[in-house]
Amino acid sequence: MDVALSKNGARLLRAFFCLVVIFLYAPIVILLIFSFNDSAVPTFPLSGFTFHWYRDFLENGDLRAALETSAIIAALSSVGAVVLGVLASLALTRRRFRGKAAVSALLLSPLVIPYLVFGISLLLLFHRLGVPRSVLTVVIGHIVISLPYTILVLAPRLDQIDASLEEAAFDLGASRLRTFRSITLPLILPAVVSAFLIAFTTSFDEYAVASFVVGPRVTFPIYLYSALRFPSQLPQVIAVAVVVLVVSLGVVIAAEVGRRFAERRFAA
Amino acid sequence: MAVADAREPPAPRRRRFRLDLTTPSLLGLPLAWLVVFFLVPIAIVGAYSFNVYSLDPGPHGFTLTAWHDFIHSSIYLKLFWKSVKMSLLVSAIIVVLAYPLAYYLALSGTKRKYVLLLLLIAPFLTSYLLRVLAWKVILGDHGVINSFLFWTGLRDPDHPISQLLYSRFAVMLVLGYIWLPFVALPIFVSLESLDTRLLEAASDLGASRLQAFRKVTLPLSLPGVFAAFLFVFIPTLGEFVTPSLVGGTSGYMYGNQIVDLFGTGFPDWETGSVLAIFLLLVVTALTVVFARFLQPRQVTAD
Repeated sequence: MDVALSKNGARLLRAFFCLVVIFLYAPIVILLIFSFNDSAVPTFPLSGFTFHWYRDFLENGDLRAALETSAIIAALSSVGAVVLGVLASLALTRRRFRGKAAVSALLLSPLVIPYLVFGISLLLLFHRLGVPRSVLTVVIGHIVISLPYTILVLAPRLDQIDASLEEAAFDLGASRLRTFRSITLPLILPAVVSAFLIAFTTSFDEYAVASFVVGPRVTFPIYLYSALRFPSQLPQVIAVAVVVLVVSLGVVIAAEVGRRFAERRFAA
Repeated sequence: MAVADAREPPAPRRRRFRLDLTTPSLLGLPLAWLVVFFLVPIAIVGAYSFNVYSLDPGPHGFTLTAWHDFIHSSIYLKLFWKSVKMSLLVSAIIVVLAYPLAYYLALSGTKRKYVLLLLLIAPFLTSYLLRVLAWKVILGDHGVINSFLFWTGLRDPDHPISQLLYSRFAVMLVLGYIWLPFVALPIFVSLESLDTRLLEAASDLGASRLQAFRKVTLPLSLPGVFAAFLFVFIPTLGEFVTPSLVGGTSGYMYGNQIVDLFGTGFPDWETGSVLAIFLLLVVTALTVVFARFLQPRQVTAD
């Protein structure tokens, strides 16, 4: 007999859960349906099956360029954020120093700043410095917003692994850098990979900050936003939407399953 | 043998171990990055708000004019209040909706709770703009809902339900849709760490399930609820993307006003900076206040 829920209570909650899941996925399914619909406007009744929009999207150079720009920015910024995140997490978990609470508050503070305010701040910085907006200015901004996420993934993992392993390697004569490379890094590798994926997807999808600091090479979200204002491109955008949604869902699920699997193996 | 030593708690020795990399060399780069690309930029916005920097050429110096005008303007503060009310309502509704979801996952004893949790939060991890786009397709005058109503003859094609899109309702619906999966997460974490023996004890002592929920489960899960609330309220308060896509004029929010002040039409960076700094101050104050509630409290006999 369960103390938290009666049988009927559990049944009721399960039904509610199912309803919410339907609510969450229905819009995505609707996008999927209309991406194959042979009509320039997404309305009922459905008018026929087509791959037309997917073909259009493959032939749309602007769109492909935007996807490419976003991939480059996401790759650069996630590598940057993971490197900074590993350094910061090592300091937070392996060191004692004065003002640690303040330092960790600062490191995590980009989590709670409205991205709108941060985007404007960066815009004004680059304006004052006379730095032209480019791919690089977006990368700089994305590193800032991804950094706290990488720390939130990496620091708990570093806390979990037994520091006496590092100590043992050190006692056996390994240099401290070698200790990190041969002991610490392999042990936190699953967390490093998931930190990288989180930073990558955060950057790839980021619109608010990018909209203020993007240069002439637009990112995918920026392209998407402007395309949303021209209804004629809607079906094509829907087709891309479906591709991106499916790919990102796949990456997310694969990353999660992979991390669980790896950590279970290492946990022994 | 050394094996015996290894079983000793290594706590005191752990402190002596040092990596080659000293604390400054570990922290230097991340902190420098945040100071240069995070704190300094915010300070520059502050400087614009006091007219220390200005977009206009010509003489300028420290003044409080922009702040004075802001505090005495009914437009900006009214708009801010409207955005606060919209965000509060969205956050409160989805926290209430998410609580039973998290409760079901954490406490119903279902075997697939992590699979179901992933199912729940996966939409959150996909593209934000695309989820807004989906609702544009659904809610428009010739969108899925209206065209379905025309098709089935429930509604005359000349009179679609036009309040669906470009309204305050649309903004709140889409924001709720976007943030609902995320909100369930912190609540789930706090419920999951709940020691169910406390519930057994309550039940043994004669408490009904409702009483046990009110006296034990709910108070212990409040930190998760507060965290969830804060994590939605902050981004929705500064939201400008969703209202600009589905809000029309009645869904116009404080964030849109800030963007417009920095826009290409009639830029007014001083006023825009005041509005941005004000938003930041409110958010920071909320974070600091709420952070006190986020520490899990001990159950005390009172």
